[in-house]
Amino acid sequence: MPHHEFECSKVIPERKEHAVIKGKGEDLTSCLPKGYLNTIPGSISERGCAYCGAKHVIGTPMKDVIHISHGPVGCTYDTWQTKRYISDNDNYQLKYTFATDVKEKHIVFGAEKLLKQNILEAFKAFPKIKRMTIYQTCATALIGDDINAIADEVMAEMPDVDIFVCNSPGFAGPSQSGGHHKINIAWINQKVGTLEPKITSDYVINYVGEYNIQGDQEVMTDYFKRMGIQVLSTFTGNGSYDDLRTMHRAHLNVLECARSAEYICDELRERYGIPRLDIDGFGFKPLADSLRKIGLFFGIEDRAEAIIAEETARWQPELDWYKARLQGKKVCLWPGGSKLWHWAHAIQEEMGVKVVSVYTKFGHQGDMEKGISRCGEGALAIDDPNELEGLEALDMLKPDVIFTGKRPGEMAKKVGVPYLNAHAYHNGPYKGFEGWVRFARDIYNAVYSPIHQLAMVDISKDEIPTDRGFVTRRMLSDKDLPVEITGSTVLSPYTGKFDSVSHLRTKTYPDFPRAGDAEEIIAVVEQGVQA
Amino acid sequence: MTCEIKEKARAGTVNPIFTCQPAGAQFVSIGVKDCIGIVHGGQGCVMFVRLIFSQHFKESFELASSSVHEDGAVFGACGRVEEGVDVLLSRYPNVKIIPIITTCSTEIIGDDVDGVVRKLNEGLLKEKYADREVHLIPIHTPSFVGSMVSGYDVAVHDFVKYFSKKDKPSLKINLITGWVNPGDVTELKHLLAEMDVEANVLFEIESFDSPLMPDGSEISHGGTTIEDLTATADAQGTIALNRYEGGKAAKFLEKRWDVPAIIGPTPIGIRNTDTFLQNLKSMTGKQIPPSLVRERGIAMDALTDLTHMFLADKKVAIYGNPDLVIGLAEYCLDLEMKPVLLLLGDDNPNYKTDPRLLALQENVDFEMEVITNADFWELEDRIKNKGLELDLILGHSKGRFVAIDYAIPMVRVGFPVYDRAGHYRYPVVGYKGATWLAEQMANALFTDMEYKKNKEWLLNVW
Repeated sequence: MPHHEFECSKVIPERKEHAVIKGKGEDLTSCLPKGYLNTIPGSISERGCAYCGAKHVIGTPMKDVIHISHGPVGCTYDTWQTKRYISDNDNYQLKYTFATDVKEKHIVFGAEKLLKQNILEAFKAFPKIKRMTIYQTCATALIGDDINAIADEVMAEMPDVDIFVCNSPGFAGPSQSGGHHKINIAWINQKVGTLEPKITSDYVINYVGEYNIQGDQEVMTDYFKRMGIQVLSTFTGNGSYDDLRTMHRAHLNVLECARSAEYICDELRERYGIPRLDIDGFGFKPLADSLRKIGLFFGIEDRAEAIIAEETARWQPELDWYKARLQGKKVCLWPGGSKLWHWAHAIQEEMGVKVVSVYTKFGHQGDMEKGISRCGEGALAIDDPNELEGLEALDMLKPDVIFTGKRPGEMAKKVGVPYLNAHAYHNGPYKGFEGWVRFARDIYNAVYSPIHQLAMVDISKDEIPTDRGFVTRRMLSDKDLPVEITGSTVLSPYTGKFDSVSHLRTKTYPDFPRAGDAEEIIAVVEQGVQA
Repeated sequence: MTCEIKEKARAGTVNPIFTCQPAGAQFVSIGVKDCIGIVHGGQGCVMFVRLIFSQHFKESFELASSSVHEDGAVFGACGRVEEGVDVLLSRYPNVKIIPIITTCSTEIIGDDVDGVVRKLNEGLLKEKYADREVHLIPIHTPSFVGSMVSGYDVAVHDFVKYFSKKDKPSLKINLITGWVNPGDVTELKHLLAEMDVEANVLFEIESFDSPLMPDGSEISHGGTTIEDLTATADAQGTIALNRYEGGKAAKFLEKRWDVPAIIGPTPIGIRNTDTFLQNLKSMTGKQIPPSLVRERGIAMDALTDLTHMFLADKKVAIYGNPDLVIGLAEYCLDLEMKPVLLLLGDDNPNYKTDPRLLALQENVDFEMEVITNADFWELEDRIKNKGLELDLILGHSKGRFVAIDYAIPMVRVGFPVYDRAGHYRYPVVGYKGATWLAEQMANALFTDMEYKKNKEWLLNVW
């Protein structure tokens, strides 16, 4: 068995089954770590809680909603301003967060009255917002407050408001992932089918498992709109509460992050017969294939092909500029859940880097299956990694760059490995054709940072060159490259703007004729003939 | 002209100013050498606190979780602490201290953490770690009581209470800094050195600003040792700079070990720094040296360039940790400014009798409000709906959108600051801190004048 035993974890033997090194000729049957089991206490795991998975990951990217957490202030404070899920309504959901501020007396006597007061106060403070989500926390789950009953009471008293309740306390499951599941199911049970949408296209989708990190959703919906597709709702980035109530009317669920949102897709298929199509907005080929698949489903492949051709022509030379300079650079791909398989293959194929390790904090075995199958030989895969294992792996693998979260990124910095934020991105968005180039650009900037190179110099021991006042990234990256590449007039570094998203918000799209329109036209023509 | 101290009238919190108690205890824990805390509760209670520390300090800190899942919530989770202590000790050979920090969930289910510690002391530690020095300290910080500020106070007290022990009298003093930045610690140590006072700086976090070394060997960790904590009982006195962040421990040392305590003031601004030096002098008999007279003079020189020309009558709102907010308000008054709104983010009943706040009530000659249990809506609502006009906001990064959306200049101060570079490196205490604060405020106003084209030409000849 290719299980990898960390030196630092020899004293906790069960950890051995949570890490593997993919050996020659090995397949997943012999090379799959355990996953999504209870965390070993005291191991300094990186996992978060089920409240975070429900509220912070999936709930709060919804943009036109008062998000209240029913509990002491800490849960609310801690999950506020620590992510980059933007929206096109001036980021209301980033700016405002609400806590019922449960204190000791409420723990003793119950906090339902307090909750109701909070709901009324919040609607009063923001009179234009008529939608609300309420998240249970550990404290209010344990004292047994009936949040649903209070929500129903308020909705009966205030007919113009609508409230969603998510009961996902922090302890509900081994990690964030438990919360993803809970809010998926709660949403379809409570809200889907409670509102009817206006259908404006023959091709109607829900865009699911997409959180608009730095504008990903807006980039992707731009493609969909260019194909004449109506995006009925996005679950949940930049998504609207009322749109998400109409999910049952879509023709297709287009699913991005299967780890966090496949549950609602599967339920929509089961209950409403809406098929699920897994897509991938990261990487030119996966994205092109995704657009093609959607086109194929609706019979509008030509529209997909037009976009793919246009975008590829525009951005391929810039991606290839970076690919030529990132060849063989070793990457630790250490995200939360799904990006290990969204990215592993695509960055190797399209940017030339080598993924030497993948890990997942809250992924399941299925995520590891996909991730490991997309890595090369020798890759180290770790489930629910902990602090010491991470450091040991970095020491063993000596990667050139690591993609991970903010805090582990600081840990990597200290051992001389530059980091990119895998959750919130550095300078995203990273989805879409242009986004993928931005990602390559960020990797390049990290790997060839002259400052990072200087950091590794020990002035007390090393020879210090005295003949230069600076070094540029190009001097480092182009040193051994052939002249066909360094002198290419086709390839170019990224030429986009700092903000590549805002302009999409005012963009207009062509009117595609609808099938119904065609019937009307025919009818008019026939009338003309008869006359 | 009145200064009102009142509690927020609404029940709920819109945009909290503070997080909860366990975060304060965790901040204390990372200030101690060879110490890794286990937070007994859900994993988010640790993961997010580690994140906010790393957002502020741009460093990673070690804190563990007992990872309470459903079964623990239903059947009790004491076993998770037992297992956690064993796992932690077996993998971190240098760890000597493990505070067990409780949270709302484990306080509600009634886990007997003190009992678990007794059991581990009698069992696991004797059986498996007999030749190792290990201290397990239960710290009770339910999230539904107090705030991160009281969590800090409680944890400092619990550490000091656990370790302090009389040996032989020492000439050292105890200095409890409160929730500060590395830059503050450097400045405090500088003042102590100039005064020739030997001090035991407790929960000492100067090394939180740690280097990136060529050999990759550096990890950020606090510097207070078991010996430092033990010796607190022998000190000739304790100065706790902050009433609400360490005051409890100072009182304990006075009562239990007859170590005289001076609590406050936070040496923010010239006057409070003067008082701090005077307190050092009266506690140790050491004179204030000419070098500090000169240093103070440099600060005075910088301030006189700014006060009556630029800072006078500027209306300021200040929020954050109570000792910081009060210290800043006092300093603003010396600078001729008008701190019109102070927001304290928890419901500590002692605020109403805080002599510094009472002095403000007695003496301010403009309309001033002090809101306790405050949230950011108390600030935004006044600006948006009640006509409050401000020239400046002082506070931490969580309030950034109020400044941004209402185009009010803001100086980042307090914890956390994650939207400005390097703020943890600069002091707000001492004469250097006074200069830095005043110049930051002035520069924020200058940038705003230029950005809004509001008498920007004024600076042509300054």
